[in-house]
Amino acid sequence: MLAPYIQAMLSGLAVGGIYALIALSFSITFTTTNTLNFSQGEFVSFGAFVGITVLLFMSGATSLSAIPLSASGGLNYPIVLTVAGVLSGLIGIVIFVAAVRPFTGKPGMSWVMSTIGFGILLQNVGLLVWGPAPANLPAPLGDNVIRVLGAGVRPQELLDLSAAVVIMIAYDLLMRKSRVGKAMRAVAHSPQTASLMGINVQAMMIGAYAASSALAGIAGVLIAPVSTASLFMGLGFALKAFAGAIIGGLSNARGCIFGGFALGVIESYVGLWQAQWREIAVFVLIIIVLAVKPNGLFGARLVEKV
Amino acid sequence: MALLELRNLSINYGPIRAVDAASIVVDSNEVVAIIGANGAGKSSLLKGIAGLIDPSGGEICFNGSDISQLSAHKRVQMGIALSPEGRQVFPDQSVRDNLVLGAYARRLAKSELERELDEQFEMFPRLRERADQLAMTLSGGEQQMLAIARALMAKPKLLLLDEPSLGLAPLIVKDVFRIVRELHDKHIAILIVEQMANLALKIAHRGYVIETGRITTSGTGEELLRDPAIRAAYLGAAKSVA
Repeated sequence: MLAPYIQAMLSGLAVGGIYALIALSFSITFTTTNTLNFSQGEFVSFGAFVGITVLLFMSGATSLSAIPLSASGGLNYPIVLTVAGVLSGLIGIVIFVAAVRPFTGKPGMSWVMSTIGFGILLQNVGLLVWGPAPANLPAPLGDNVIRVLGAGVRPQELLDLSAAVVIMIAYDLLMRKSRVGKAMRAVAHSPQTASLMGINVQAMMIGAYAASSALAGIAGVLIAPVSTASLFMGLGFALKAFAGAIIGGLSNARGCIFGGFALGVIESYVGLWQAQWREIAVFVLIIIVLAVKPNGLFGARLVEKV
Repeated sequence: MALLELRNLSINYGPIRAVDAASIVVDSNEVVAIIGANGAGKSSLLKGIAGLIDPSGGEICFNGSDISQLSAHKRVQMGIALSPEGRQVFPDQSVRDNLVLGAYARRLAKSELERELDEQFEMFPRLRERADQLAMTLSGGEQQMLAIARALMAKPKLLLLDEPSLGLAPLIVKDVFRIVRELHDKHIAILIVEQMANLALKIAHRGYVIETGRITTSGTGEELLRDPAIRAAYLGAAKSVA
């Protein structure tokens, strides 16, 4: 009886975890640099294909389609996650230096166009390297459906959910307890005042872009085994994640995470009822939330004492 | 040798000249006040020294070297700390974390950090009581204490104080100035910018008067306090407070 609902909840949470990761990645650059990487979707796809390529080399297969299903076993999948995260992070530094920094602190929103342009560039380089065909990133725990309270779930969905939760808890702790995290929050509040503490604000902003892009790349590797990887898959995820971030409040990392999860679950339940209403429901929800709370559910501005 | 020397420093905001060829000297262990009306360029001057605004001309020499091209965080490492106008504490972080951030550039070992936090808490007992509260829950006066204590955590040779009395009740203003006096006893050079000229000149060894970006008068604190023109322009209203 309840099985379909539990199943919808679990897959909603799994994909919601991915939305939450990407929503968090939006929040990281928004709070520290007041800019957003509008090519985050391309970074998701890029991460997935870097992952597949690493598996290709590690398994000794001759083409993307010939990677054996067991290739992600053992330590391979964690290695893939790491490599995809690091490479995406490095490209994140490139996008910041080349396409964002020249426009920060200046009026206008040139960085919107320049980051979109960078995404097109990244996608086309991807097409040159990997071609337009979808590819499969084998799931590390296999594809045999397991039963949870009568509902059938794929192991990768549970892995996605747990990985997303672990990463986000780690991020939250880092931001609240570590020296760098406190400095990052100081920059988020006011770059000028942060620089008065001796914090190298430029370095922090570069770090923010690296972390944000790394998260997107990791999200790509996590989601690829669930939905076949293609260089075009990222946009949809990034759009939904962005919607989640808007619902939760871009300026609040925890809000963004909540928004991502909420969106995944709502989407999943609406899909259970009427699949064609999924997208509509999501965007109606955004409109309602923004009409009531323009800064998102948790994005309330801090009131400064005079 | 002077600790800080500004030579013909000019600062522009676009076409508007906020500071016009200002020359100022601060010796080590000296308290220097800059007084002037609202918008005269006092805050811009301090921001220029701290590295928050790029100067459009002139030199800033600190400890004998020209620092006018250095970014703000490097100047902190050299020993210049600014307690900015409007306090600018980090509202979403605890009082303790605000102080810890003040020492960010120094990479202190944990034990040393604790010792220095304790030093600040000795001087500002209110902050100890509120160490674990978020800075946004503090009163205006407490936030001002926090801003000063946070600047001191950088162990500066030169402390820049921008309008420490702004928006505070008279009793608390007195408290703030008592602390500035204590700091001077700890051998920190202080450059203070104040609208409450009377209070600032009483604790300062020397003072400068700035009018529409230009330094017009300078002298010892006492000289400036006696100067009839300055009394008429800046001290009339402030008298009632002190």
